[in-house]
Amino acid sequence: MVEIAFFAGAAGAIGGALAVVLLKNPFYSVLALVVHLVFLAGIFLLLRAQFLAAAQIVVYAGAVMVIYVFVAAYVGGIEEPAFDAHPRLRIFGPIVAAALFIEISIAVAGSALVGIGTEGPQDIPDDFGTPAAVGRMLLDDFLIAFEAASILLLLAAVAAIVLAGRRGSQTQEGT
Amino acid sequence: MIPALPIADTNFVDATWILILKSLVIFVVILSVVPVVLLAERKLLGRFQNRYGPNRVGPYGSLQPLADVGKLLSKQGFRPTGAVPGLYEVAPALTILAAVLTLAILPFGDVQGGVGLYGIDVPIGILYFFAFGALAFYGLLLGGWASGSKYSFLGAMRSAAQLISYEMAMGLSLLGVVLMAGSLSLVEIVKAQGEIWFIVPQIVGFLIFMVAGFAETNRAPFDLPEADAELVAGYSTEYGGMRFGSYFFAEYMEILIISGIASTMFLGGWMGPGPSWLDPIWMLAKMLAITFIFIWIRATLPRFRYDQLMSFGWKVLIPLATLNVLVTAVLVVVW
Repeated sequence: MVEIAFFAGAAGAIGGALAVVLLKNPFYSVLALVVHLVFLAGIFLLLRAQFLAAAQIVVYAGAVMVIYVFVAAYVGGIEEPAFDAHPRLRIFGPIVAAALFIEISIAVAGSALVGIGTEGPQDIPDDFGTPAAVGRMLLDDFLIAFEAASILLLLAAVAAIVLAGRRGSQTQEGT
Repeated sequence: MIPALPIADTNFVDATWILILKSLVIFVVILSVVPVVLLAERKLLGRFQNRYGPNRVGPYGSLQPLADVGKLLSKQGFRPTGAVPGLYEVAPALTILAAVLTLAILPFGDVQGGVGLYGIDVPIGILYFFAFGALAFYGLLLGGWASGSKYSFLGAMRSAAQLISYEMAMGLSLLGVVLMAGSLSLVEIVKAQGEIWFIVPQIVGFLIFMVAGFAETNRAPFDLPEADAELVAGYSTEYGGMRFGSYFFAEYMEILIISGIASTMFLGGWMGPGPSWLDPIWMLAKMLAITFIFIWIRATLPRFRYDQLMSFGWKVLIPLATLNVLVTAVLVVVW
Protein backbone atom coordinates (compact mmCIF):
# COMPACT_ATOMS: atom_id res chain seq x y z
CA MET A 1 0.00 0.00 0.00
CA VAL A 2 2.75 2.43 1.00
CA GLU A 3 4.76 1.39 -2.07
CA ILE A 4 1.83 2.02 -4.41
CA ALA A 5 1.17 5.42 -2.82
CA PHE A 6 4.85 6.32 -3.00
CA PHE A 7 5.29 5.40 -6.65
CA ALA A 8 2.04 7.08 -7.64
CA GLY A 9 3.19 10.22 -5.82
CA ALA A 10 6.68 10.04 -7.29
CA ALA A 11 5.42 9.51 -10.84
CA GLY A 12 2.99 12.43 -10.47
CA ALA A 13 5.64 14.72 -9.00
CA ILE A 14 8.28 13.92 -11.61
CA GLY A 15 5.75 13.99 -14.44
CA GLY A 16 4.48 17.37 -13.28
CA ALA A 17 8.00 18.77 -12.97
CA LEU A 18 8.93 17.57 -16.46
CA ALA A 19 5.73 19.03 -17.88
CA VAL A 20 6.58 22.43 -16.36
CA VAL A 21 9.79 22.54 -18.37
CA LEU A 22 8.63 20.84 -21.56
CA LEU A 23 5.21 22.42 -22.19
CA LYS A 24 5.27 25.41 -24.52
CA ASN A 25 2.15 27.15 -23.27
CA PRO A 26 2.95 29.01 -20.01
CA PHE A 27 -0.58 28.46 -18.66
CA TYR A 28 -0.19 24.69 -18.90
CA SER A 29 3.27 24.94 -17.38
CA VAL A 30 1.83 26.67 -14.34
CA LEU A 31 -0.93 24.06 -14.06
CA ALA A 32 1.68 21.32 -14.28
CA LEU A 33 3.53 22.98 -11.41
CA VAL A 34 0.31 22.86 -9.36
CA VAL A 35 -0.02 19.13 -10.13
CA HIS A 36 3.61 18.64 -9.11
CA LEU A 37 3.07 20.47 -5.80
CA VAL A 38 -0.06 18.43 -4.99
CA PHE A 39 1.72 15.12 -5.59
CA LEU A 40 4.70 16.35 -3.57
CA ALA A 41 2.31 17.07 -0.70
CA GLY A 42 1.18 13.45 -0.98
CA ILE A 43 4.78 12.30 -0.55
CA PHE A 44 5.11 14.56 2.49
CA LEU A 45 2.06 12.80 3.94
CA LEU A 46 3.77 9.44 3.43
CA LEU A 47 6.74 10.82 5.36
CA ARG A 48 4.31 11.72 8.20
CA ALA A 49 4.92 15.43 7.67
CA GLN A 50 1.23 16.35 7.82
CA PHE A 51 1.71 19.99 8.64
CA LEU A 52 4.19 20.41 5.81
CA ALA A 53 1.78 18.73 3.39
CA ALA A 54 -1.08 21.03 4.40
CA ALA A 55 1.15 24.11 4.33
CA GLN A 56 2.42 23.09 0.89
CA ILE A 57 -1.12 22.99 -0.51
CA VAL A 58 -2.42 26.08 1.32
CA VAL A 59 0.59 28.31 0.70
CA TYR A 60 2.03 27.12 -2.61
CA ALA A 61 -0.90 25.57 -4.50
CA GLY A 62 -3.47 27.85 -2.86
CA ALA A 63 -1.80 31.26 -2.73
CA VAL A 64 1.45 31.49 -4.69
CA MET A 65 0.32 29.45 -7.68
CA VAL A 66 -3.00 31.26 -7.84
CA ILE A 67 -1.09 34.45 -8.56
CA TYR A 68 1.01 32.65 -11.20
CA VAL A 69 -2.13 31.28 -12.84
CA PHE A 70 -3.66 34.73 -12.67
CA VAL A 71 -0.71 36.30 -14.50
CA ALA A 72 -0.32 33.45 -17.00
CA ALA A 73 -4.03 33.58 -17.83
CA TYR A 74 -3.92 37.34 -18.41
CA VAL A 75 -0.72 37.72 -20.43
CA GLY A 76 -0.04 34.13 -21.49
CA GLY A 77 -2.16 31.63 -23.35
CA ILE A 78 -0.02 32.05 -26.46
CA GLU A 79 2.68 29.69 -27.66
CA GLU A 80 6.05 30.91 -26.48
CA PRO A 81 8.57 31.41 -29.30
CA ALA A 82 11.62 29.17 -29.06
CA PHE A 83 14.16 30.69 -26.70
CA ASP A 84 16.87 32.45 -28.68
CA ALA A 85 19.81 32.65 -26.33
CA HIS A 86 22.85 34.88 -26.46
CA PRO A 87 25.81 32.90 -27.96
CA ARG A 88 27.82 33.25 -24.78
CA LEU A 89 24.87 31.94 -22.72
CA ARG A 90 24.61 28.97 -25.05
CA ILE A 91 28.05 27.77 -23.91
CA PHE A 92 27.91 28.99 -20.33
CA GLY A 93 24.39 27.66 -19.57
CA PRO A 94 25.02 23.94 -20.14
CA ILE A 95 28.26 24.13 -18.12
CA VAL A 96 26.45 25.58 -15.10
CA ALA A 97 23.62 23.03 -15.51
CA ALA A 98 26.07 20.15 -15.69
CA ALA A 99 27.95 21.41 -12.64
CA LEU A 100 24.70 21.68 -10.67
CA PHE A 101 23.67 18.18 -11.78
CA ILE A 102 26.99 16.70 -10.63
CA GLU A 103 26.79 18.55 -7.32
CA ILE A 104 23.24 17.33 -6.60
CA SER A 105 24.18 13.81 -7.69
CA ILE A 106 27.05 13.75 -5.22
CA ALA A 107 24.81 15.00 -2.44
CA VAL A 108 22.08 12.44 -3.21
CA ALA A 109 24.46 9.53 -3.72
CA GLY A 110 26.36 10.45 -0.57
CA SER A 111 23.45 10.70 1.83
CA ALA A 112 19.90 9.87 0.76
CA LEU A 113 20.66 6.59 -0.98
CA VAL A 114 21.96 5.16 2.28
CA GLY A 115 18.32 4.87 3.37
CA ILE A 116 17.39 2.58 0.48
CA GLY A 117 17.20 -1.03 1.59
CA THR A 118 16.32 -0.17 5.19
CA GLU A 119 12.82 0.12 6.60
CA GLY A 120 13.44 3.67 7.78
CA PRO A 121 13.38 4.83 11.39
CA GLN A 122 10.92 2.82 13.50
CA ASP A 123 10.93 4.99 16.63
CA ILE A 124 9.19 8.09 15.27
CA PRO A 125 7.56 10.09 18.07
CA ASP A 126 3.76 10.09 17.95
CA ASP A 127 3.45 13.81 17.40
CA PHE A 128 6.03 13.92 14.59
CA GLY A 129 4.99 16.34 11.86
CA THR A 130 1.92 17.64 13.68
CA PRO A 131 1.42 21.42 13.86
CA ALA A 132 2.18 21.30 17.60
CA ALA A 133 5.55 19.62 17.12
CA VAL A 134 6.53 21.86 14.22
CA GLY A 135 5.51 24.97 16.15
CA ARG A 136 7.46 23.94 19.22
CA MET A 137 10.52 23.33 17.06
CA LEU A 138 10.24 26.68 15.30
CA LEU A 139 9.76 28.69 18.48
CA ASP A 140 12.20 26.79 20.73
CA ASP A 141 15.10 25.28 18.80
CA PHE A 142 15.14 27.50 15.73
CA LEU A 143 13.78 30.76 17.14
CA ILE A 144 16.54 32.99 15.76
CA ALA A 145 16.34 31.54 12.25
CA PHE A 146 12.54 31.80 12.39
CA GLU A 147 12.59 35.44 13.48
CA ALA A 148 15.26 36.30 10.91
CA ALA A 149 13.11 34.79 8.17
CA SER A 150 10.08 36.73 9.36
CA ILE A 151 12.03 40.00 9.34
CA LEU A 152 13.25 39.19 5.83
CA LEU A 153 9.65 38.63 4.68
CA LEU A 154 8.53 41.86 6.34
CA LEU A 155 11.31 43.77 4.58
CA ALA A 156 10.30 42.23 1.26
CA ALA A 157 6.66 43.17 1.80
CA VAL A 158 7.54 46.77 2.72
CA ALA A 159 9.91 47.02 -0.23
CA ALA A 160 7.23 45.73 -2.60
CA ILE A 161 4.79 48.37 -1.37
CA VAL A 162 7.40 51.14 -1.70
CA LEU A 163 8.36 50.06 -5.22
CA ALA A 164 4.74 49.72 -6.36
CA GLY A 165 3.87 53.12 -4.87
CA ARG A 166 6.79 54.84 -6.61
CA ARG A 167 5.93 53.44 -10.03
CA GLY A 168 2.29 54.50 -9.57
CA SER A 169 3.22 58.14 -8.85
CA GLN A 170 5.66 58.24 -11.80
CA THR A 171 3.05 57.21 -14.34
CA GLN A 172 0.69 59.76 -12.91
CA GLU A 173 3.29 62.50 -13.38
CA GLY A 174 4.15 61.20 -16.82
CA THR A 175 0.62 61.41 -18.21
CA MET B 1 2.40 -0.48 15.35
CA ILE B 2 2.71 1.88 12.43
CA PRO B 3 -0.48 1.95 10.34
CA ALA B 4 -0.10 0.79 6.75
CA LEU B 5 -0.54 4.26 5.38
CA PRO B 6 0.33 7.28 7.53
CA ILE B 7 -2.46 9.18 5.79
CA ALA B 8 -4.70 7.43 8.29
CA ASP B 9 -2.52 8.86 11.04
CA THR B 10 -5.28 10.46 13.08
CA ASN B 11 -6.16 11.09 16.67
CA PHE B 12 -8.67 8.23 16.73
CA VAL B 13 -8.59 5.45 14.14
CA ASP B 14 -11.64 3.36 13.26
CA ALA B 15 -11.62 0.02 11.47
CA THR B 16 -11.53 0.30 7.69
CA TRP B 17 -15.08 -0.96 7.14
CA ILE B 18 -16.40 1.56 9.68
CA LEU B 19 -14.53 4.33 7.84
CA ILE B 20 -16.13 3.32 4.53
CA LEU B 21 -19.58 3.12 6.12
CA LYS B 22 -19.11 6.50 7.80
CA SER B 23 -18.02 8.13 4.55
CA LEU B 24 -21.11 6.77 2.82
CA VAL B 25 -23.46 7.97 5.58
CA ILE B 26 -21.95 11.47 5.68
CA PHE B 27 -21.98 11.71 1.90
CA VAL B 28 -25.57 10.52 1.54
CA VAL B 29 -26.87 12.75 4.35
CA ILE B 30 -25.21 15.90 3.00
CA LEU B 31 -26.16 14.96 -0.55
CA SER B 32 -29.80 14.80 0.49
CA VAL B 33 -29.60 18.01 2.50
CA VAL B 34 -28.35 20.00 -0.51
CA PRO B 35 -31.65 19.77 -2.49
CA VAL B 36 -33.53 20.76 0.67
CA VAL B 37 -31.33 23.85 0.99
CA LEU B 38 -31.87 24.59 -2.69
CA LEU B 39 -35.62 24.44 -2.33
CA ALA B 40 -35.54 26.38 0.95
CA GLU B 41 -33.52 29.12 -0.73
CA ARG B 42 -35.98 29.48 -3.61
CA LYS B 43 -39.00 29.38 -1.32
CA LEU B 44 -37.49 31.85 1.15
CA LEU B 45 -36.29 34.20 -1.60
CA GLY B 46 -39.83 34.13 -2.92
CA ARG B 47 -41.21 35.10 0.48
CA PHE B 48 -38.56 37.81 0.95
CA GLN B 49 -39.60 39.26 -2.40
CA ASN B 50 -43.31 38.98 -1.65
CA ARG B 51 -44.04 36.14 -4.09
CA TYR B 52 -44.67 32.41 -3.71
CA GLY B 53 -41.53 30.79 -5.07
CA PRO B 54 -41.77 27.35 -6.70
CA ASN B 55 -45.21 25.87 -6.01
CA ARG B 56 -46.12 23.77 -9.05
CA VAL B 57 -44.14 20.52 -8.74
CA GLY B 58 -45.41 18.40 -5.86
CA PRO B 59 -47.08 19.73 -2.70
CA TYR B 60 -45.85 23.30 -2.01
CA GLY B 61 -43.28 22.85 -4.78
CA SER B 62 -41.39 20.31 -2.67
CA LEU B 63 -40.37 18.19 -5.67
CA GLN B 64 -38.87 21.15 -7.55
CA PRO B 65 -35.19 20.13 -6.94
CA LEU B 66 -35.93 16.65 -8.30
CA ALA B 67 -37.46 18.15 -11.41
CA ASP B 68 -34.44 20.44 -11.81
CA VAL B 69 -31.99 17.56 -11.53
CA GLY B 70 -34.05 15.55 -14.03
CA LYS B 71 -33.92 18.42 -16.45
CA LEU B 72 -30.17 18.95 -16.05
CA LEU B 73 -29.41 15.24 -16.43
CA SER B 74 -31.42 14.87 -19.60
CA LYS B 75 -29.69 17.78 -21.32
CA GLN B 76 -27.18 17.20 -24.09
CA GLY B 77 -23.53 17.28 -23.02
CA PHE B 78 -22.20 20.17 -25.07
CA ARG B 79 -18.82 21.79 -25.53
CA PRO B 80 -18.43 25.18 -27.23
CA THR B 81 -15.98 25.28 -30.17
CA GLY B 82 -13.68 27.74 -28.40
CA ALA B 83 -13.39 25.59 -25.29
CA VAL B 84 -10.29 23.60 -24.38
CA PRO B 85 -11.08 19.88 -24.54
CA GLY B 86 -10.25 17.98 -21.38
CA LEU B 87 -9.89 20.92 -19.03
CA TYR B 88 -13.44 22.01 -19.81
CA GLU B 89 -14.78 18.64 -18.63
CA VAL B 90 -12.43 18.25 -15.65
CA ALA B 91 -13.09 21.66 -14.07
CA PRO B 92 -16.60 21.07 -12.65
CA ALA B 93 -15.58 17.63 -11.38
CA LEU B 94 -12.60 19.20 -9.58
CA THR B 95 -14.86 21.71 -7.84
CA ILE B 96 -17.29 19.10 -6.58
CA LEU B 97 -14.48 16.71 -5.59
CA ALA B 98 -12.84 19.34 -3.39
CA ALA B 99 -16.19 20.14 -1.77
CA VAL B 100 -17.00 16.49 -1.04
CA LEU B 101 -13.52 15.79 0.38
CA THR B 102 -13.87 18.67 2.83
CA LEU B 103 -16.97 17.02 4.33
CA ALA B 104 -14.67 14.41 5.89
CA ILE B 105 -13.52 16.66 8.74
CA LEU B 106 -16.88 18.05 9.88
CA PRO B 107 -17.52 16.47 13.30
CA PHE B 108 -21.13 15.42 13.95
CA GLY B 109 -20.43 14.04 17.40
CA ASP B 110 -17.81 12.63 19.74
CA VAL B 111 -16.72 8.98 19.84
CA GLN B 112 -19.92 7.06 20.60
CA GLY B 113 -20.08 3.28 20.96
CA GLY B 114 -16.54 2.99 19.64
CA VAL B 115 -17.29 5.00 16.51
CA GLY B 116 -16.23 8.59 15.99
CA LEU B 117 -19.14 10.50 14.47
CA TYR B 118 -16.95 12.23 11.92
CA GLY B 119 -15.07 11.23 8.79
CA ILE B 120 -11.56 11.66 10.15
CA ASP B 121 -10.10 13.69 13.00
CA VAL B 122 -6.80 14.93 11.61
CA PRO B 123 -4.29 16.82 13.78
CA ILE B 124 -3.94 19.44 11.04
CA GLY B 125 -7.71 19.97 11.39
CA ILE B 126 -8.70 23.30 10.00
CA LEU B 127 -5.71 23.40 7.62
CA TYR B 128 -7.32 20.48 5.77
CA PHE B 129 -10.33 22.71 5.10
CA PHE B 130 -8.09 25.46 3.72
CA ALA B 131 -6.10 23.01 1.60
CA PHE B 132 -9.16 21.70 -0.20
CA GLY B 133 -10.66 25.17 -0.38
CA ALA B 134 -7.53 26.16 -2.30
CA LEU B 135 -7.98 23.25 -4.70
CA ALA B 136 -11.68 24.02 -5.22
CA PHE B 137 -10.61 27.38 -6.57
CA TYR B 138 -8.82 25.72 -9.50
CA GLY B 139 -12.16 24.23 -10.53
CA LEU B 140 -13.64 27.70 -10.98
CA LEU B 141 -10.55 29.16 -12.60
CA LEU B 142 -10.03 26.30 -15.06
CA GLY B 143 -13.73 26.26 -15.93
CA GLY B 144 -13.67 29.96 -16.71
CA TRP B 145 -10.42 29.80 -18.61
CA ALA B 146 -11.15 26.63 -20.57
CA SER B 147 -14.58 27.83 -21.71
CA GLY B 148 -12.97 30.14 -24.25
CA SER B 149 -15.42 32.95 -23.55
CA LYS B 150 -14.81 36.52 -22.38
CA TYR B 151 -17.51 36.42 -19.74
CA SER B 152 -16.29 33.13 -18.31
CA PHE B 153 -12.72 34.38 -18.27
CA LEU B 154 -13.59 37.65 -16.52
CA GLY B 155 -15.69 35.75 -14.00
CA ALA B 156 -12.83 33.36 -13.28
CA MET B 157 -10.35 36.22 -12.89
CA ARG B 158 -12.68 38.01 -10.51
CA SER B 159 -13.12 34.90 -8.42
CA ALA B 160 -9.32 34.45 -8.30
CA ALA B 161 -8.76 37.98 -7.01
CA GLN B 162 -11.63 37.67 -4.57
CA LEU B 163 -10.53 34.34 -3.15
CA ILE B 164 -6.93 35.50 -2.62
CA SER B 165 -8.14 38.63 -0.87
CA TYR B 166 -10.60 36.96 1.48
CA GLU B 167 -8.81 33.70 2.20
CA MET B 168 -6.34 35.54 4.41
CA ALA B 169 -9.04 37.23 6.47
CA MET B 170 -10.79 33.88 6.83
CA GLY B 171 -7.66 32.16 8.10
CA LEU B 172 -6.90 34.95 10.56
CA SER B 173 -10.48 34.98 11.85
CA LEU B 174 -10.21 31.31 12.86
CA LEU B 175 -6.80 31.78 14.48
CA GLY B 176 -8.42 33.36 17.55
CA VAL B 177 -10.48 30.22 18.12
CA VAL B 178 -7.44 28.00 17.58
CA LEU B 179 -5.50 30.06 20.15
CA MET B 180 -8.28 29.71 22.72
CA ALA B 181 -8.81 25.98 22.13
CA GLY B 182 -5.10 25.25 21.88
CA SER B 183 -5.67 22.76 19.08
CA LEU B 184 -6.28 22.65 15.34
CA SER B 185 -8.36 19.47 15.53
CA LEU B 186 -12.05 20.25 15.03
CA VAL B 187 -13.09 17.61 17.58
CA GLU B 188 -10.81 19.14 20.22
CA ILE B 189 -12.10 22.61 19.39
CA VAL B 190 -15.70 21.50 19.98
CA LYS B 191 -14.71 19.87 23.26
CA ALA B 192 -13.01 23.11 24.34
CA GLN B 193 -16.38 24.87 24.09
CA GLY B 194 -17.92 22.96 27.01
CA GLU B 195 -18.14 26.06 29.21
CA ILE B 196 -18.88 28.75 26.69
CA TRP B 197 -19.33 28.76 22.93
CA PHE B 198 -16.53 30.62 21.19
CA ILE B 199 -19.01 32.95 19.52
CA VAL B 200 -19.13 34.95 22.78
CA PRO B 201 -15.42 35.71 23.28
CA GLN B 202 -14.70 35.55 19.53
CA ILE B 203 -17.66 37.51 18.20
CA VAL B 204 -15.33 39.61 16.01
CA GLY B 205 -13.77 36.47 14.59
CA PHE B 206 -17.22 35.01 13.91
CA LEU B 207 -18.37 38.09 12.01
CA ILE B 208 -15.17 38.23 9.95
CA PHE B 209 -15.45 34.51 9.21
CA MET B 210 -19.02 34.87 8.02
CA VAL B 211 -18.22 37.84 5.77
CA ALA B 212 -15.21 36.03 4.32
CA GLY B 213 -17.38 32.93 3.98
CA PHE B 214 -19.89 34.83 1.83
CA ALA B 215 -16.99 35.95 -0.34
CA GLU B 216 -15.37 32.52 -0.57
CA THR B 217 -18.61 30.87 -1.70
CA ASN B 218 -19.27 33.64 -4.26
CA ARG B 219 -22.58 34.42 -2.61
CA ALA B 220 -24.40 37.74 -2.62
CA PRO B 221 -23.35 40.42 -1.80
CA PHE B 222 -19.97 39.11 -3.03
CA ASP B 223 -21.25 37.32 -6.15
CA LEU B 224 -19.14 39.41 -8.54
CA PRO B 225 -17.69 36.34 -10.29
CA GLU B 226 -21.17 35.53 -11.57
CA ALA B 227 -22.68 39.01 -11.57
CA ASP B 228 -25.49 38.35 -14.04
CA ALA B 229 -25.94 41.97 -15.03
CA GLU B 230 -22.34 42.28 -16.23
CA LEU B 231 -21.01 38.79 -16.92
CA VAL B 232 -24.08 36.72 -17.92
CA ALA B 233 -23.19 33.98 -15.41
CA GLY B 234 -19.44 34.37 -14.94
CA TYR B 235 -17.30 31.24 -14.99
CA SER B 236 -20.29 28.93 -15.57
CA THR B 237 -21.64 30.85 -18.60
CA GLU B 238 -20.63 28.21 -21.17
CA TYR B 239 -21.68 25.25 -19.08
CA GLY B 240 -24.93 23.37 -19.43
CA GLY B 241 -26.55 20.16 -18.29
CA MET B 242 -25.07 18.31 -15.36
CA ARG B 243 -21.69 20.07 -15.74
CA PHE B 244 -23.45 23.29 -14.80
CA GLY B 245 -25.29 21.20 -12.22
CA SER B 246 -21.96 20.22 -10.67
CA TYR B 247 -20.94 23.84 -10.23
CA PHE B 248 -24.35 24.66 -8.81
CA PHE B 249 -24.27 21.68 -6.49
CA ALA B 250 -20.71 22.40 -5.36
CA GLU B 251 -21.69 25.98 -4.50
CA TYR B 252 -24.42 24.78 -2.14
CA MET B 253 -22.14 22.11 -0.74
CA GLU B 254 -19.58 24.86 0.00
CA ILE B 255 -22.27 26.85 1.79
CA LEU B 256 -23.05 23.84 3.96
CA ILE B 257 -19.34 23.31 4.64
CA ILE B 258 -18.81 26.96 5.64
CA SER B 259 -21.88 26.66 7.87
CA GLY B 260 -20.46 23.45 9.32
CA ILE B 261 -17.07 25.01 10.03
CA ALA B 262 -18.75 28.07 11.56
CA SER B 263 -20.95 25.94 13.85
CA THR B 264 -17.95 23.81 14.83
CA MET B 265 -15.62 26.69 15.52
CA PHE B 266 -18.03 29.18 17.07
CA LEU B 267 -21.37 27.56 17.96
CA GLY B 268 -20.25 24.55 19.97
CA GLY B 269 -20.52 22.04 17.13
CA TRP B 270 -22.57 19.01 18.17
CA MET B 271 -23.15 20.30 21.73
CA GLY B 272 -26.72 20.84 22.81
CA PRO B 273 -29.20 19.77 25.48
CA GLY B 274 -30.60 16.26 25.38
CA PRO B 275 -29.16 12.75 25.11
CA SER B 276 -25.98 12.16 23.17
CA TRP B 277 -27.72 10.52 20.19
CA LEU B 278 -29.14 13.98 19.44
CA ASP B 279 -25.63 15.33 18.78
CA PRO B 280 -25.60 14.91 14.97
CA ILE B 281 -29.03 16.49 14.81
CA TRP B 282 -27.84 19.52 16.78
CA MET B 283 -24.91 19.88 14.42
CA LEU B 284 -27.17 19.69 11.35
CA ALA B 285 -29.62 22.14 12.92
CA LYS B 286 -26.84 24.66 13.57
CA MET B 287 -25.55 24.22 10.03
CA LEU B 288 -29.00 24.86 8.58
CA ALA B 289 -29.49 27.90 10.82
CA ILE B 290 -26.31 29.46 9.43
CA THR B 291 -27.35 28.47 5.90
CA PHE B 292 -30.54 30.43 6.54
CA ILE B 293 -28.39 33.50 7.30
CA PHE B 294 -26.68 32.99 3.91
CA ILE B 295 -30.09 33.09 2.19
CA TRP B 296 -31.29 35.99 4.31
CA ILE B 297 -28.22 38.08 3.42
CA ARG B 298 -28.64 37.25 -0.26
CA ALA B 299 -32.19 38.55 -0.20
CA THR B 300 -31.25 41.68 1.75
CA LEU B 301 -28.02 43.19 0.45
CA PRO B 302 -27.21 44.48 -3.05
CA ARG B 303 -23.99 43.47 -4.79
CA PHE B 304 -20.74 45.32 -4.02
CA ARG B 305 -18.84 47.28 -6.62
CA TYR B 306 -15.47 45.71 -7.46
CA ASP B 307 -13.31 48.41 -5.84
CA GLN B 308 -15.50 48.34 -2.73
CA LEU B 309 -14.99 44.58 -2.53
CA MET B 310 -11.21 44.92 -2.70
CA SER B 311 -10.81 47.84 -0.32
CA PHE B 312 -13.19 46.24 2.18
CA GLY B 313 -11.23 43.00 2.14
CA TRP B 314 -7.76 44.50 2.38
CA LYS B 315 -8.33 47.68 4.37
CA VAL B 316 -11.04 46.59 6.82
CA LEU B 317 -11.27 42.81 7.20
CA ILE B 318 -7.58 41.87 7.28
CA PRO B 319 -6.47 44.58 9.75
CA LEU B 320 -9.48 43.80 11.93
CA ALA B 321 -8.73 40.07 11.86
CA THR B 322 -5.06 40.70 12.68
CA LEU B 323 -6.04 42.90 15.60
CA ASN B 324 -8.43 40.19 16.81
CA VAL B 325 -5.64 37.59 16.75
CA LEU B 326 -3.28 39.96 18.56
CA VAL B 327 -5.75 40.79 21.35
CA THR B 328 -6.74 37.13 21.71
CA ALA B 329 -3.10 36.04 21.93
CA VAL B 330 -2.33 38.62 24.63
CA LEU B 331 -5.45 37.66 26.63
CA VAL B 332 -4.72 33.92 26.33
CA VAL B 333 -1.18 34.45 27.64
CA VAL B 334 -2.21 36.84 30.44
CA TRP B 335 -5.11 34.66 31.66
